[in-house]
Amino acid sequence: MNKAEMPKIENTISFKDRHRFSLMILSSLVITMVLVVISMYVYDNSGAAQVDLSRPGYISVRSQAVTNNADFQNYSSTGEVNQETISEFQSLFVNQVNKAKSFDAFGGDPLSPNSLGIGAVAE
Amino acid sequence: MMTFKRYFVIFTIFALTLSSVSFFSVSAQNNTITSQQAEQIRSNCVSTKNTLNQLHASDALLRVNRGQVYESILTKLMDRFNGRLSNKNINNSDFISITDKYSSMLDSFRADYQTYEEHLSIALNVDCSSNPTEFYNAVASARTKRDQVHTDVVKLNQFLDQYQLALNQFEKDYQTAAKEVIN
Repeated sequence: MNKAEMPKIENTISFKDRHRFSLMILSSLVITMVLVVISMYVYDNSGAAQVDLSRPGYISVRSQAVTNNADFQNYSSTGEVNQETISEFQSLFVNQVNKAKSFDAFGGDPLSPNSLGIGAVAE
Repeated sequence: MMTFKRYFVIFTIFALTLSSVSFFSVSAQNNTITSQQAEQIRSNCVSTKNTLNQLHASDALLRVNRGQVYESILTKLMDRFNGRLSNKNINNSDFISITDKYSSMLDSFRADYQTYEEHLSIALNVDCSSNPTEFYNAVASARTKRDQVHTDVVKLNQFLDQYQLALNQFEKDYQTAAKEVIN
C-alpha cells in the first residue's frame, strides 16, 4: 500500500469528537447558569427572599429570630374528645393566641412623612 | 361610510376615556411635593435612609417570628383539633369554616408582606438627595402596602378570636350534653 492509498484518519474525526471534553465543560457551565437563573427567579418571586434573614441587610436582627419553637406543643389529631382534651386544647390555643396578639404587629405609622421628618413644614 | 364614521367616533371616545383614566391613576400615585419638603428630604436624606433600613430589618424579623406563630397555630393546633373532631364524627363545620378563612388570610399576609418589602426596597434604592420627589412617592407607596399588612394582621387576630368563641361554645355544648347523659 503506498502513501496515497492510506486512509486519512484525522479527517474522518468530526468536530464534536475532537472537542468532546471542551463541549462537556461548556454544556455543564450552560446548564449550571440556567439552573442558577431559575433558582434566583424562584427565590425572588416565592417570597423566600423576604424572610431570608441571612441577607446582608438583616445582620442586626438575625440573632433575634425565633429558631427554637420547642414551647409550641403539638396537639394530636387522634384521641378522645372529652372535657380533659378540650381543656388541654383550650389552654394550648389561648397560650399561642396571646403570644400572637402580644402587640400590634405592623401597627403605628413609621413611614408617615412626619415620622420620617420629611413632612410639610408650615411657615 | 356612516358605519366607518360611527366606529371612528366610538373608538375616539374609548381612547379618550382610557387615556384620561390612565392619566388620573398616574396622577394619584405621584404626589407633588413642595420645595420646602424637597429641601427637607435632601437635608435629612442620610438619617431617613437609616430609619428606613432599621425598619426594613425589624419588619423582616417581625414577619419571620409572627409568621411562624400564625403558621404553627394553623398547622399544629387548629388543623389537628378539627381533625380530631372529624375522626370522632363530631360536627366541626364552624371550626373548618373559620380555619379556611384564617388560612386564606395567612396567604394574603404572606403575599402582602412580600409586596410591601419590594416597595420598601425600591424606596431604599432611590437617591433621596437627587430625586426627593421620587423618594417621597416610593415611601408613600411602601406606607400603603404596610397598612395592608397591618390590616391582614388585624383580620388574622379576628379569626383567632372567632375560633376561640367557637371553641367556648363547643365546650359549653359538650358540658350540657354530658350533664344530660348523667341525668
